[in-house]
This record gives sequence, C-alpha cells and structure tokens, in this order.
Amino acid sequence: MTDDRLCRHCLLTIGRRAMRRTVNGENCAFCCYGCCIAFQVRSGKSEEWEAAWLLIRLGVGGFLSMNIMLFSLLLYTGAFTGVDARLLPWVHLLLWIFATPALVILGGPFLRETWLDGVQGRLRSSALIVVGVGAAYIYSAFAVIERGTHVYFDTATMVLMLFTVGRYLEAAGRARAARDLEPLLAAESACATVVNGGAETRRAVRDVKARMLVRVRPGERIPVDGVVTEGESHTDEAVITGESRQVAKSVGSPVIAGSINLDGPLLIQSSGAGTTTRWAQICRSVRDALVRRSPTQRIADRVVGASVPVVLALGGLTMLYWAQWLPLERALLFGLAVLVVACPCAVGLAAPLATSLGIGRLARCGCLVRDPGVLEALARTRLLAFDKTGTLTSGRAHVVGIETDGAGTDEVLARAAGLERYSEHGFGHAITTAAAVRGLDPVVTGDVRILPGRGIRGNADGKAVVAGNGALMSELGWSVAPALSEHGRSLEADGYSVIYIGWGEQVRAALALDDSVLPEARSTVEALRSRGLHVLLLSGDLAHATQRVAVAAGIQDAQSGLSPEAKRAALRQLRQRYNVVAMVGDGLNDGPVLADADIGIAVGSATDLARETAALVLPRDGLWMLPWVVDVARAVRMTILTNLMWAFGYNCIAVTLAMLGWLQPVLAAAVMAGSSIIVVLNSLRLERLPNPVPSAAPDQSAAVESAPTMHTSSLPIIAGQAIP
Amino acid sequence: MAYYLMLFAAGFAGSFHCIGMCGGFACALGRDPHGHAATVLRHLLYNTGRLTTYCFLGGLAGALGQVICTPQGMTVSLVGGPLDAAQRILAIVAGLLMIGMALQFFGLLQGFHRLASGFGSSAFAMSLRSLLTARGRAAPLAFGVFNGFLPCPLVYAFVAEATSTAGALPGFLTMASFGLGTFPAMLMMGGVGQVLAPAWRQRGVWLAGSCILLLGLITLSRGILPIAAHIAHGWPGGHPA
Repeated sequence: MTDDRLCRHCLLTIGRRAMRRTVNGENCAFCCYGCCIAFQVRSGKSEEWEAAWLLIRLGVGGFLSMNIMLFSLLLYTGAFTGVDARLLPWVHLLLWIFATPALVILGGPFLRETWLDGVQGRLRSSALIVVGVGAAYIYSAFAVIERGTHVYFDTATMVLMLFTVGRYLEAAGRARAARDLEPLLAAESACATVVNGGAETRRAVRDVKARMLVRVRPGERIPVDGVVTEGESHTDEAVITGESRQVAKSVGSPVIAGSINLDGPLLIQSSGAGTTTRWAQICRSVRDALVRRSPTQRIADRVVGASVPVVLALGGLTMLYWAQWLPLERALLFGLAVLVVACPCAVGLAAPLATSLGIGRLARCGCLVRDPGVLEALARTRLLAFDKTGTLTSGRAHVVGIETDGAGTDEVLARAAGLERYSEHGFGHAITTAAAVRGLDPVVTGDVRILPGRGIRGNADGKAVVAGNGALMSELGWSVAPALSEHGRSLEADGYSVIYIGWGEQVRAALALDDSVLPEARSTVEALRSRGLHVLLLSGDLAHATQRVAVAAGIQDAQSGLSPEAKRAALRQLRQRYNVVAMVGDGLNDGPVLADADIGIAVGSATDLARETAALVLPRDGLWMLPWVVDVARAVRMTILTNLMWAFGYNCIAVTLAMLGWLQPVLAAAVMAGSSIIVVLNSLRLERLPNPVPSAAPDQSAAVESAPTMHTSSLPIIAGQAIP
Repeated sequence: MAYYLMLFAAGFAGSFHCIGMCGGFACALGRDPHGHAATVLRHLLYNTGRLTTYCFLGGLAGALGQVICTPQGMTVSLVGGPLDAAQRILAIVAGLLMIGMALQFFGLLQGFHRLASGFGSSAFAMSLRSLLTARGRAAPLAFGVFNGFLPCPLVYAFVAEATSTAGALPGFLTMASFGLGTFPAMLMMGGVGQVLAPAWRQRGVWLAGSCILLLGLITLSRGILPIAAHIAHGWPGGHPA
C-alpha cells in the first residue's frame, strides 16, 4: 500500500497528524501512536531494530513505572512512617530518579505529537496529557527539592503508561476492522509472477500489460483478469462477486482478478492491463470511500477540535478553584484528573471505526460502498424507489404468448427460430430459447437478411419467411387476418413487444414478448416493507407493463411513463415528504436519477465503476441482498449513535466528577483508556452481523408464477429463465 | 516470616514448571559474547524485570483485596484482629482458584487450562522474540517485564493468594517471595543452559502442583475454619501489617 491517506495498521483516515516509521524497509504512515506500536509488534521482523527498540522502550518504561508504583503503594500504606520517616526524602529522590527516564521514554511520543500540532497551530488531546503529566512531574520535582511531604511521580508515569497501553489495545482492536477490507485494498500493492520465455519475474500488478503470461500458485490471489492457458484449479471469487463458492477452472476458462487460486498452479494470459481490472477499480473506490468523511464524522471532528481548549480551561479553573480551599498539590491533582479524563479520543473514533467496519462487512459480500455517508443515510431513509427494467426485472425478453390465425404454434416457433438464430437482437434470443424449451428444431433457413429496426427475413422450403414488427408487415403488403391484427394491436397497447411471423405472403402469427420479473423481487419487496420502508416503482415504461411488474413484485405504488427528468422531479417531490430518498436502479439507464437521489443504489451494474454514479453498488443478481444491506446500514448507524452517546456522556460525567475532585488521576486515566476500548469493542460487534440469506432461490417455478398471464387461447405461456 | 519462606519454597518448587515455558526464553536469551559476568548480568536483568512485574501484580492484587475488604476505606488490622467476612470470601475464592490450578498441573481440569493460558497471547509472545536477540542491557530487562505478564497458571495462583492477603504490602511481599523462589531455577536454566530430562521436568510439574495444592488448601481453610485463621496468624511474624 503506497497510499499515505490511510493508516497502515487500521486503515482509518490519517488526517494531518501522521506518524511515520520505517518498518521492514518500507515507509509506513500511522494515524496514531497506538497503531504505530501495534503494527510494529505484529509485523516488525525480528531482525528489525526499530520494532525491538519500541518494545524495549515500552518494557523499560513499564519496569520504571511499576517500580515507582510499588514504592508509592508502600508510601500510601504508610510503610515509611514513624521510625522510617527519615528515609522519606531519600525514597522521594529514588522515585524522582526512576520517574525522569520513564517520563522521557513513555512521554516522548506524546510530547512530539503535541509539538508537531503546536507548530501547525493546533491543540489536540495529546496536549492535555503533556500539560497534565508535565505539571504533576514539575510539582513533584520541586517537592523533592523542598523536602515536601507528597510527590506524584506515580501519577505522572502511570497516566502515561495507561494511555500507552490503552492506545496499543485500542489499535489492536481496530486492526480487526481492517480485516475485511484487506483483500480489496491489496489490489494496488499486489505482485504478479510474469513468465517471459523461460524466466519468471515478480512485478507490480500495475506493470502487467495485456497478453502477458502470469503464473499463479495455489493459495495466491489471481492478480489480473485473463484466460487460463495451462493448469486446472478451483477459484474463490468472493471478493468480486460476493459469492463464496468454488468455481472450477481449466484451460480456456476466464478468471477474474482478486479471486483466490485454491488448489492447482495456473498459467494465465492477461486480457488487459493490471490497473483496469474490476479488482483494481474496487480498490480505488473503497480507498476513496474510506478517506471521505461522513457528515457525522465531520461534526464529531469539529467537537473534538473545539473541546481541547475548553478542557484545558476547565482544568485550569478547577485547579484555581480548589486552590482556595485545599493545598496546592491537591488542587493540582484535581486539575490533572480533569485534563486526563476529558481526553476526547473516543469521540473521534466513534464514527469512522463503525463505518469502516460496515464497509468491510458489505464488501465481503460483494457490495461496494463508495461514500461512507450513504450507510447512515440509508439507515434513516423511509422510502425506496425502484426502477423497473433491469432492476426488478431481468432486463431480458421472454416469449409470453403466441397468437396465430390457425397455424400450429410449434410450426410458428420453429420457423421463427430458424430465422432468429441468425439475429443478435434480444428478441431473437428470446424466440430461439422459447423454441428450444419446447424441444423444437429450427426450420433450416437460408438467404437470411437482417432489416435493421424492422425485423429479419429469409427463405425456407422455397418460401420467403419474415419476422418483424407491424410496420415491416405493412411495408411488405402481406395480408393479415383481422382477428390477428386486432390481437396484435391490443397486445401492443398493453405494453408487450409484438413480433409478427409470416410466410407465403401471409402473416400467420403474433408473438408477445415481455421482460420477466426477477423471482426474488417479491420476497425482497416484502422484506423491505417489513423493515418499515415504503416501496415505490418509478418506470419510464407504459402503464400496463409497469402495473404488471408492480403486481408481480407486490408493489402498490407505481408511477409509469416517466422520462429521466420526470423521475428526478418525482424524487424531489418525494424528498419533501420522506426527507431522505433512496433510488434503486441498474446503473445503466438511470445514472442521472441515481446520482440525484440521496442514496443511489445500483444493482447488477455492468458499467465501469469509475463512471458509476450510485453510492452503493450491489453485485450482479444481488437484489435479494438489499434488505440485508439496510440491516447493516441500520446497525452501523446504531453503533455510531451508541458510540457517540457513550463517549459524550462518559466525558460529561467524568469531567464533572473530576472537577468535584472525586476522581483520582490514575483512575481517570484507566477509565479514559477503557472508554476508547469500549468504543472499539462496541464497534466490533458489527463483525457478528449475520450473513445475507437468499430469501428466494431464482428457479423456474417462481419465474412462471411471476410471469403475467395472457388472454390468449392458443398457447398459454412459455416462460422461464430465458437465457442462462 | 515463615509464611514468606513457605511461599519462597513454593516458588522454587513451582519454578520447575517454569522450565517448560519461561525456561525456553531463558535459554534463548543465551550467553553474552562479552564473557561470563556479562551473561550473568543479562540473566539477572531479565529476572529482575520479571520480578518487578510479579511484585507490581502482587501489590496491585493486594490493594484490590484491601479495597474489596474495606469498602469504607478503613484499613484492616490483620494482626490479632478477626478476619471479616469479605476477607474470608476472598480467601475461599483464592483457595479454590489455586486448587483448580494445582489440579490442572496433574492433568485434570483441562478446560481450566484453556482458561488459564488461552488469552490468545501466543502472538504476543511470538512478537517478543525480537527482544531476545536484540543487543544492549535494556532488551533483557524489557523482555523480563513482558514475560511477567504472559499467562501462567502459577502466577495466577500466587496473584490470587496475594489478593487474599488484602493489603498492598503483604501482596507485594507474597509475589516477591514467589518471584525470588523462581530465581534459582531460571538462573540455572539461563546460566548453565542445561535442559533437565523430560522425566525430571514432569516430576517438577507435579512438585509444583503439590505445593500449590497445599497452599490452596491452607488459603481455603483460612476462609472456612475459624481456627485455621488463627493458626495462620499465629505463625511467628504472621502477616505484617
């Protein structure tokens, strides 16, 4: 990972106070001291001096502060009273000697942070620690010189120790948030073994060009899109498709970048540059999403920024107030407790951690979040508007009825299929599939010509055969039985696409084609409704066609005949009532509408991610995941809210207690460190969200049920999953 | 004093258990190229770090016990004073814990073993290996400090004992005696670098188990039997207050 905007350890945004270290010969940036420690402890190679040095510092700091604490415990329990009282100054001196290096070792990173912030004219939480600990240390040093009765070296060092350990533990927890995102973000730093002649070289994926041969060993991630030229294996494409199952690959099979090669070595011919794969696109998109800040996060950051000076002032006031009644040292301790306990680390952590966990959780199932704010918005929305074609329907035509003037339906289909197998048009595919489903052999047809925009014609058994629209038929001047012509017109008026089939200079039949509703559409809509969401259908199609889909999917509220501009106007109107509106589309035809909605959700998008306008992209055939995505979004929002409530509430209560003098500084530091850890633990509960459960398997029977019935007598319905 | 001598003995016996895990560390710490004296210093530093952690844990546990036993902030006078109910309960809990640990040394209560050593800190222990090979005087000290925090049923048992003493100072002394008890074996492991035969190690583990079992029974009886409490306090020196 070469990006400096994300922490190397926890993948959260770094902000301006990056800590930079060289680990294993690489320059790494960290968002905080805790991540810096945790990453080095986890990944630092044993021969790395720096990783060892860090641990040594922590260990020695721990040794010194534990000794100080022990002696102080003995002091507090009164071990040096009475006869031993003359030893007291010497014990104090010993504590001073221990405390000085401990302060340098443990406090150094905090001091450095404060200094760097100060140079940039900012005050952050580390300043609170530095001021508090510094005051305790300096006071105690004077107390030793003046032979005072109390020293607070233990407070100074233990506060530092607790904050260091707290940050380490917090960072260790945060790294778990990055676990789901790592495979996605690995795309940019991935390497490929390029085979050139007999030589194999390791190269960065961005240097891999089309047609290069790449070897992938079992257990490795396939770095480029391509075709297998040698070897057999199984791959797991979960990162890209969201489906965790094994796919068999042999010579000639296409493979996608980002999938894991499971059990056999493969030689792959790259089909494009390493940077153009979907994996790389997802990587860039996820990285951009992580860097962006949600509105909640912006508010929280502003609060954190404003709170540090306030807390400093509160600490000073507390000290001044108590100094009127108590000895200076007690007042100082109260002030220190205020500074330590009000450290707003947990507030700053509340939103980004939950959001990145949510993004990672969705990413593991192939759902891509392009804007962190979208999760919170989706959790708040009460309205989901669906586009029809390609979203609730398969976007592929099916033959749903045949009207004839007496000719056998099988003959009609066989002749039509004989023509249409030469056609690339979606309707052609629908007709050949319908013939195949009924087990018909297409009539051998020669001399086939495609008439663009009108139909197709050819010759079979010495007679001209034509399939096409009504315009083509009238152009040819072929005769049509009045009943057939009437049926055809009423079908067209109902929103079906009608194809006329004729041979021997006579139109013999009319085929009705329609887009089939996805089998999971109904259960998805029901699941969404059970979550309290209002579901609406916005379609540019004719009223009858829209209504059929609405009925099949169980949507009561449908608007038809909307141009893209009218859809946007409809959304604007709905926004006044529902405040936040989400639009679900296929990302192909409704890009501007998706971009205009508060939350644009693209299902089964085949478009280039870079041009994608939706903020949330579901995988292909991923409509059924939508209720689960809503659940995740709600869980993320709930977590953010509980985190913030905890962090703010805790800070308010703790600061009040500290100002009243009811909180020891060491206890305050312990509870403060604990508060950040609680925020981390609360956020990590998001990891335990259940996986999405397919509510309806896309099978034949469901498709037949959901297909519209027709009032034709000759052939009821030929429907099904037309194109596998 | 006798109480602490017994703890020392228990630590010494228990340290044969240490050879299994910490002995490996001591061996890995190895010899210093600068001669015998430097090697001894290296190991002394390591063990000092370990001892500091133990003492700290002991002091902390003792203080915690004190807090539990005296919610009103009164200091408990241990000498001669009757044990109050809280301290009795503490003693019973600590005693049961120690007996559980001891049984686990004999291969019983495997679930307890997972509980005792399964805090997922093996990754932490692995990352500490970088300290073993690092040069300088500070590295062994730092390693010792961390080593003290590694999960070990023996340490838990004695921390439980320290808690039941309900005082920072006796807690500290409890763990100090135990820690000093482990010194000879650990120094021997590091300095001499000899590994005991597996059979001997097994006997050491049993010995450690017996000692902890005995200690656990004594602690438990201190909580249950009123007379035993007086016996415990009747020892010359008893618990210093």
